[in-house]
Amino acid sequence: MNRRSFLATTLLLSTLAGHSAQAATAEAEQKLHTAVEDVLAVTSRVSSRAALIESVRPTLTRHISFETMTRRAVGVGWKQFSAAQQQKATQLFTTLVIRTYSNRFTPGEKPVINYQTATEPASGRVDVPTTLVYKGSRYSVTYRLEQAGGWRIVDVVIEGVSMVANYRTQLDATFKKGGAAAVISSLEQSVSKA
Amino acid sequence: MKLSSILLRLVLPVAASAQLVSCATSKTKGSGTPTSPSTAAVQQAKPGTEAVDELDDYGSAAQVSDPLEGMNRVTFKINDGLYTFLLRPVSKGYVAVAPKPLRQGLDNFFDNVKFPVRFVNCTLQGKMKRAGQEVQKFGVNTFAGFGGLIRQSDKIPSLASVPAEDTGQTLGKWGLGNGPYLVLPVFGPSSMRDGVGMAGDYVLNPVNWGFFLKGSNDSWTWIPSTVNNVRSWPSQLELYDEARQNAVDPYISVRSVYIQNREAVVND
Repeated sequence: MNRRSFLATTLLLSTLAGHSAQAATAEAEQKLHTAVEDVLAVTSRVSSRAALIESVRPTLTRHISFETMTRRAVGVGWKQFSAAQQQKATQLFTTLVIRTYSNRFTPGEKPVINYQTATEPASGRVDVPTTLVYKGSRYSVTYRLEQAGGWRIVDVVIEGVSMVANYRTQLDATFKKGGAAAVISSLEQSVSKA
Repeated sequence: MKLSSILLRLVLPVAASAQLVSCATSKTKGSGTPTSPSTAAVQQAKPGTEAVDELDDYGSAAQVSDPLEGMNRVTFKINDGLYTFLLRPVSKGYVAVAPKPLRQGLDNFFDNVKFPVRFVNCTLQGKMKRAGQEVQKFGVNTFAGFGGLIRQSDKIPSLASVPAEDTGQTLGKWGLGNGPYLVLPVFGPSSMRDGVGMAGDYVLNPVNWGFFLKGSNDSWTWIPSTVNNVRSWPSQLELYDEARQNAVDPYISVRSVYIQNREAVVND
């Protein structure tokens, strides 16, 4: 291969890679738009927070990879969970996340969301920063999406605070003290709290 | 000792604590948000032995030195009781008595008054564009917003979301780390660095200037800071509850939320 054709090939490959990255971010962004619209459709038709928790579950389950969230929230200890323990932990963590997410909404209040330029920090992952104006306050919210059976949300970062990182610090400490059983027990306790 | 002095001594630190708790999620009424929270929150974490999969970079996220954890946990519990039995009832009373437009107006007013804290710290960090935006915001809200009661700057796109700077952020920007994590009695979550920063913010906030001018708590000087404190409690308690509710370990959750948010705003 002479120098000119080498340069041409390199240029072509980098252009293709660029297009591929753009396609990935565009696809993930579109997926996020759909997810947000679906959730807002649910929030606009319920009249209480308790009703929201139940109504929004199927929608969130469709758009969020709770398995990925739970695995990362637990950390390396996850590998020592049995399949049944992993399933149980995921089920409990899902309930906890849905409750946490639902608590942020007040029925009747509609947020205004401004989407900013998405980035692809790693292959298979896209971060979509947004600015959300809700009840007179402005929040910075970044959605992290990954390829997990299609683009799905794997973390929500509000004002710099990652939901997964927050649970990671708690569950990792719990695992180190008492293993998988302690993690499941502490999740059960949290879920059982009203 | 006058009732005002007793109240002042009680209320002043409580409010400061609420301000620190607020830093945990730093909800801002249009006056500052970290621009890239996700990176600030987790990019410090590197995949490695602590990673559970290839894209897991949460291994060292929200890590902070906590050598005083035992003592901090006791203080956390005492503070929690104080918030529940003192702040919450007062806060509920305030919300019941003051209509929403009044509460919003007071929030806007005291946020506008806090201009010197933001302006000085923008300048100390060399963020001159942001300092200029703060001057514009203060001018617009003071003169076109009835002394700051209405946040007219929100209608101007370039001024709608200027990130708020404080002294703790300035120290962080200058290279000072968090230092040990601290739960201060009444004040709540903090760090060695932010504890020092809080003193700077106190001096720079005009609501406290009456004390310096009069050198006494026994006159009108307690009024601005007390009103400022009480009006901030409903939203601060909401933020505190968000960090605490649904937590597996509320102490670690509040610490994590606090540290992540402070990292984000310092790196912004």
